[in-house]
Amino acid sequence: MTQSKQLMGRAFIYSLLLGFAIIYLAPLYVMLVTSFKDIEEIRTGNILALPNTLNFSAWSKAWSTACTGGDCHGLAPYFWNSIRIVVPSLVISTLIGALNGYVLAQWQFKGSNFLFGALLLGCFIPFQVILLPMAKLLAWVGLANTVPGLVSVHVIYGVAFTTLFFRNYYVAIPNELVRAARLDGAGFFAIFWHVFLPMSTPIFVVTVIWQFTQIWNDFLFGVVYSGPGTQPITVALNNLVNTSVGGKQYNVDMAAAIIAALPTLVVYLLAGKYFVRGLTAGAVKG
Amino acid sequence: MGAINIQNLTKSYADTQVLKGINLDINNGEFLILVGPSGCGKSTLMNCIAGLEEITSGDLFIGDDNVTELSPAERDIAMVFQSYALYPTMSVARNISFGLEMRKYPKHEIEATVQEVAKLLQIEHLLNRKPSQLSGGQRQRVAMGRALARSPRVFLFDEPLSNLDAKLRVEMRTEIKKLHKRLGTTIVYVTHDQVEAMTLADRIAVMKDGVVQQFSSPYEIYNDPANRFVADFMGSPSMNFVDCVVFNDKLVIESAGQRDELPIPNSEALQASGLENVILGLRPEMITEPKPYKESTYITHMQLAVQVTEPTGPDTLAFGEWNQQEIQARLSPEIGVQAENHSTIDIQVDTSKAVLFHPKSGERI
Repeated sequence: MTQSKQLMGRAFIYSLLLGFAIIYLAPLYVMLVTSFKDIEEIRTGNILALPNTLNFSAWSKAWSTACTGGDCHGLAPYFWNSIRIVVPSLVISTLIGALNGYVLAQWQFKGSNFLFGALLLGCFIPFQVILLPMAKLLAWVGLANTVPGLVSVHVIYGVAFTTLFFRNYYVAIPNELVRAARLDGAGFFAIFWHVFLPMSTPIFVVTVIWQFTQIWNDFLFGVVYSGPGTQPITVALNNLVNTSVGGKQYNVDMAAAIIAALPTLVVYLLAGKYFVRGLTAGAVKG
Repeated sequence: MGAINIQNLTKSYADTQVLKGINLDINNGEFLILVGPSGCGKSTLMNCIAGLEEITSGDLFIGDDNVTELSPAERDIAMVFQSYALYPTMSVARNISFGLEMRKYPKHEIEATVQEVAKLLQIEHLLNRKPSQLSGGQRQRVAMGRALARSPRVFLFDEPLSNLDAKLRVEMRTEIKKLHKRLGTTIVYVTHDQVEAMTLADRIAVMKDGVVQQFSSPYEIYNDPANRFVADFMGSPSMNFVDCVVFNDKLVIESAGQRDELPIPNSEALQASGLENVILGLRPEMITEPKPYKESTYITHMQLAVQVTEPTGPDTLAFGEWNQQEIQARLSPEIGVQAENHSTIDIQVDTSKAVLFHPKSGERI
């Protein structure tokens, strides 16, 4: 009696979970199958139907020949633009965040808590507010419409978050470690390098995933601060979808969207296990 | 070499003065214990010696060098922390060698030192493990190994045993004492445990509110306390304090409905003070069952109405009242069994080591 009741409960839970998983994954499924169909099949067939043949032409078109606004080189050049923007932004903002967090958590000075509070405020400033002043500033220092300009915007905006992550991670580590290392003759950077960095893997993974996703998916900064040759892939995707040369090419749009989203997906799949672990690490350690 | 000389050291945070003019002269090779209740400034003083906290005023010498302005690394000291503070990502061997590595010792010398230290502390089989794979006692050893490796002029121990369970604590205590005998290096050791202080120290500095109350040998601290605070803090169970009226150079005690007069040593000082009321300080082991072989002028026989007994094994503590104030007597277990159930028993009071305190200031008379 109780056993069958339990079994029913189980079945209910699993079917519920399965139902939600399907709802969540349905758009991805539609995108995938559509990207492998040709226009004719899309127009006549069912949106949920599997493609008749695996047709990669939409993918190669999206990658190398689709038109994004004026020119027709596909997403490829913009994909590399995004890489050139994301990698330095990610590395610089993460390293600065780690160093900031290390100082704010372990080398408290007069006003350090105030400084941390001020930095935190940076997490809550909406993008739109800083658009104009930042554009002025970039023009003034001669970085408007350049990759370094966009990188510095992402770094400045990201440092608030990365600092928060690292500070909260390092604050759980007893200050006696720093004291012990100082007595051992290690200086500020030696302690950071030998003692703190080696135990920071979980929080690095969290920060990297967070920053990668944020910067890769950014559209607003990308569209405002980039020039014609430095647009990130999100902007190019928008242009590609909005450029219509004789009818909507849904298959190309879908393939392009998947290409644009793929890197974040890969990063999450590779490091996602650490993500959840890292987010809770501080809480468990106490 | 490792002598420490502290002159007029003060330490303030904003408006609060935590250390109020500390003067200590610690000989080379001496085992000094800083003891006191929490918040007395003992850990701050140790951090000042280590250089981890800046000194507000005063001077600090190690050997012949004025180290007041030197960084922790330049002072040639090593410290064992309460939480051990082992580097979690490094192996035991690297934990021990890190200080040498930072000081750029040659590689073969580092390896030899690690082996030597590991052998001394019997942790050779643990060298490749991470701190998280060690038990509390093993971590304690590694923390000591890290301090030993550099053979510094001074060791600082900051409550090193307080995270261990009672049995291990006693074991490690003995081991630290042996280690000190063997190395002969100056040790400054902070604790709030007065038993640890008594057992380990060559000399004890008892602190309260940022002031050294007394700085002398364990024997003197125990038998000749400078004031009521020291007398109360050192010793377990702690000293009995009873307000008494002075009568003919003797102290009047009412116990079990009777009036007795206790003779006291050094009655000249009491006369000179002219006080009519004093606080009598008498350790529990001086109030016992009658022991005929101990007769002397300072022995008084009287009675005690026992309210509660606490057997500790080797002896039994009996609680009664003198002048309506609670006192403890230390009875043999056999007498302790009889003393149960609110009985009144014969006791003998030995006042040869009684100490008297001023009723207001708490200072010794």
